[in-house]
Formats: sequence, structure tokens, C-alpha cells
Amino acid sequence: MNVVACVKVVPDDQDLTVSPDYTLDFDRARPSISTYDLNAVEEGVRLVEDNGGSLKVLTVGDSSIDDSKLKKNILSRGADDLLMVADEDMKAMDAHQTACALKAALAKIDSYDLILCGDGSADLYAQQVGAQLGQLLGIPVINCVSKITVENGAVIAERTLEHEVEILEIPMPAVISVTSDINLPRIAGMKQILAAGKKPAVVLRATDLEYAALATIEVLETLAPKETDRKHIIIEGDSDEAIAAFIANVAKVI
Amino acid sequence: MKAFIYAETAPQMSALCGCARAYADAVEAVAIGDELKDAALADKVFHIATQAGVMVEDYTETIADLIANEQPDFVFIETTRRNKLIAGRIAALLGTSVMTDVIELAENGTAKHLVYGGAATRTEKATGPVAIYLLGSDVLPNHDAQGANEIVEVPFITPVSQVKCRSVAKKEKSAVNLSASQTVVGIGRGIAKEDDLVMIRAFADAIEGEVGCTRPIAEEEKWLPREVYIGVSGVMLAPEVYVAIGLSGQVQHTVGINRAKTIIAINKEASAPIFKQADYGIVGDLYKVIPALTEAFGK
Repeated sequence: MNVVACVKVVPDDQDLTVSPDYTLDFDRARPSISTYDLNAVEEGVRLVEDNGGSLKVLTVGDSSIDDSKLKKNILSRGADDLLMVADEDMKAMDAHQTACALKAALAKIDSYDLILCGDGSADLYAQQVGAQLGQLLGIPVINCVSKITVENGAVIAERTLEHEVEILEIPMPAVISVTSDINLPRIAGMKQILAAGKKPAVVLRATDLEYAALATIEVLETLAPKETDRKHIIIEGDSDEAIAAFIANVAKVI
Repeated sequence: MKAFIYAETAPQMSALCGCARAYADAVEAVAIGDELKDAALADKVFHIATQAGVMVEDYTETIADLIANEQPDFVFIETTRRNKLIAGRIAALLGTSVMTDVIELAENGTAKHLVYGGAATRTEKATGPVAIYLLGSDVLPNHDAQGANEIVEVPFITPVSQVKCRSVAKKEKSAVNLSASQTVVGIGRGIAKEDDLVMIRAFADAIEGEVGCTRPIAEEEKWLPREVYIGVSGVMLAPEVYVAIGLSGQVQHTVGINRAKTIIAINKEASAPIFKQADYGIVGDLYKVIPALTEAFGK
């Protein structure tokens, strides 16, 4: 089976800093694979290991994602090849634009049986692109999938909702968004990282695709919250006296 | 202004109908089946009769068609996992995007949403004629729900239904309801092994609290159920007291606790960011501190 795992490249939020005016500073933030999308890639690797076929990673974004270290990082996770659409016209797309761009990029791929998405992106976490993509492609789409097996050409999916677990039979091709606990993404070793450099990576521009989606959401501002005032009464050390002093402090509220 | 309400549960159907009054003079509900129809408190209720053997997702085309015809300005959809899918599909059919997990909604329809793992709040608005929101009534101002509930029967549009539901199992209810607990103990990677949870539970019992955790403890170690993982993609809490044990305080976690009235931190690293957010803290070995606390408060 041919699997496509969709991933988003996001600024690494470990490197985000808050400016004095509460805006976010991305200058030191390196482009990285959105955490939850690693589960989609891992599930793709696992499905191809079990059922044969190939795994392609697909990503769309602004021109900064065309970064050789990043491409190697993506391909070291076990995919066979990468299709990237990198273009300044694809900067900060909303969910609808992203799904339209992915659909246009998928038109460049010969055939696929299953499209996997993560639970939500690490930056916006709207959990919408998979749903939109499936609808735009006119194929079955299901979210919150916590287990996937393949049976007679159909996906048998376990879907974990708030109060119930559904077992679904989904004909392929289909779009499936997986939960962040469906698997534990493997960490690439030196061998995988070296091999990644030799794997095919195709980079396209927006003009190579049939894509023309206008923004449906206007972002007015993105601001860090003002920090809650805290008392900051911190005791250093864990001697008996220190612990006793700490107990005296917390006894005021416990 | 006209608002549409679509909810999966009866309590949210009633509550969102009431809340929508603050945003629209016409409030109209879309109800699948009789229970939701009866729960609606709106001017008009578009009722779609329950169809045998179809999934809730199969009503998506009918709802999207109704929105396209009736042209509401706002569509309020109850936040549930299933509705995340349904709302996204509706938005795709209408050529727009959903504003999800809204934490604040201004009268003009401008919505706030947490981004970057809770490091920031984004304010956004729809550019097209219809604005779709996924939200719960708890983030909206309360309003008395009222309405004539004029029932309009809507014919079901049969979709090219392809997904078959083989079975549904009720999830074992986690006995813990962290959101309802006034005292919460949260644990992170500083806990060395699963057996140490015994010590943590003894402490939680001593202070009459419940135990929650960071994402790795639930999803990687699987020491605790996913329902008690605190953070932007888990539960968001506002307890009286939160005790952070052996967790560094990354923003993805602290966004779930920063509305706590008092935060207490126990961590051996003085540089752990959790101390910047704490009211009371101790830089020390949790394996020395916790038993002492249990002893002191268990009496």
C-alpha cells in the first residue's frame, strides 16, 4: 500500500521568546517537524513494514522550509521519499488553504491508498486540515484514530472519542488523523540520518500546482499572556530544616 | 445577525442557544434526533430525523447544505472530537476555516484561541460571510435561553457513505475528574519509576487531591490514563492548589495550570521554569520532600 504522511513544519517552540511588548520572537526558532505529525510518519512506516508498499512524506509551507537539514531530518524517520512545496505564497496558511495546497500537491502523486495526518499542528493545534483535506478530495476521512490495521483492502480503525471507542471499517483511499498516543515515534540513528541524504526529495513551487486559495481567516494579533503574579517563595535545599520551612509555607494553602 | 447552533449533547444544545443571544437576534438550532430537538431553546429548530444505521458524521452534507441555504452569520458548534471532524468538513464544503477551541468571543465575532502550545493567544476573525466556531458554553457570557422553537423538518441528504461502524464500546470511565478537583498533584519526568506512584498517591490522599501528569507520563510511559494529562492538548485546569512534582514547567504543560490560584513546585533543578510560576517552591529531592509532606499533612 502506498501511504502519504502529511507533516507541517513549525518553528521549534522551545526556542520561542516573548518580546517586552508580548509579541513572539521567532528569530532563534529553527524550523522543525510538528511533534504530533511524527506519529503520522511513524504509523506510515509501521504500515509499510507490515503491508509492503511505500511511504511518502508531504509538506507544504513557506520558502524557509526548503532547508537541507530539515529535509534530512524528515527523511531519517523512515519514509522513502519527500514531496515538499515551499513558496512564500504559502506562508502562514489557514486550515482551508493548507488543505487546498495539500490536495493540489497530491495531484502530483501517481497513486495513494492512505493519507495520514497528525492529531493537530504543534503551533496552531486547530485539528482541521485532515478533515478539510478528506472532504476536498471526496474520500472517507476520520479523526482520533488510535489503532490501524489493514484487512481485505480496507482500514480497520479504532477511534477514541471522549466517552466511546468505535471500530470503523474505512475503504481506501482515505484520510486518517491519528492520535498522539497511537505509537511512539522512533528516534533516527546515525545510519538512518546518513541514508536520508540519499533519499529522493522533490521541491516544488506554488506555481507548479493548481492552487489558488485565498485566506479565510484574518489574524489580528498573536500575543503572549501577561504572567500571573506569583509569590515566588522558593526554598533552596532539602535539609530537614529546609523541608520544615517549606511545609510551614505550604500549610497556608493546603 | 443570525446564529446557528449545532451541538452533540443536550446540555450544550440548551446552553449554547442561550449564549448565542449575546451575539445574534435570531438564534436557530440544528438538531439531529428528538433529544437534541427537545433540548434546543431557539427561535427555530431545524430538525433532521435520526436515520437508521448511519454515523453522526453522515449528517455533515445535510448540515452544510442548510448553512449554505439559510446563511447564518455565526455557526456555534460544541467542541467535541467528533465535531472537530464534522465542523472541518462543513468548512471545506463552504470554503472557509473553523475557529477552534475558542477561549473568548467578542460581540463582533472576533475569537481568541491558544497557539504555540499555549505560549500565546491568537485573535482572529473569518474573512468570509459565515464564521464557524468550535466552543463550549463555558467561555461565553451567560444568557437566558428562550425561543419559540418553531420546528422546521429538514430532509436528510444521503451522502456517499463509505465508513462502516462495526462496533462502539463505552470507554471505561476514568474514576478521576481532574477538572472538578480543587487540589491537583501533577507529576513529570522527575518520577523515576512507575512504582513511585504509590508514594505520590499517598501524598495526594493526604491533601485530598487528585493526580495528573505531563504528556510523557501519560503517552510515553503510560503510567497514568490520557484523561489526566494536563496541557494544551489534554485537560485545562483552574484548581485552588496545584502541586507540581518533578516537572520542569514547559509551556505546553503550564498552560493547563496557570489559572490555578496557588502553584507549589518541588524540583531538584533550581533552574526549572516551574519555579518562575510558583507561589511556593523547594529546590530539593522529591523523594525526601514528598514523604515529609505526606507525614505532615496526613494527620
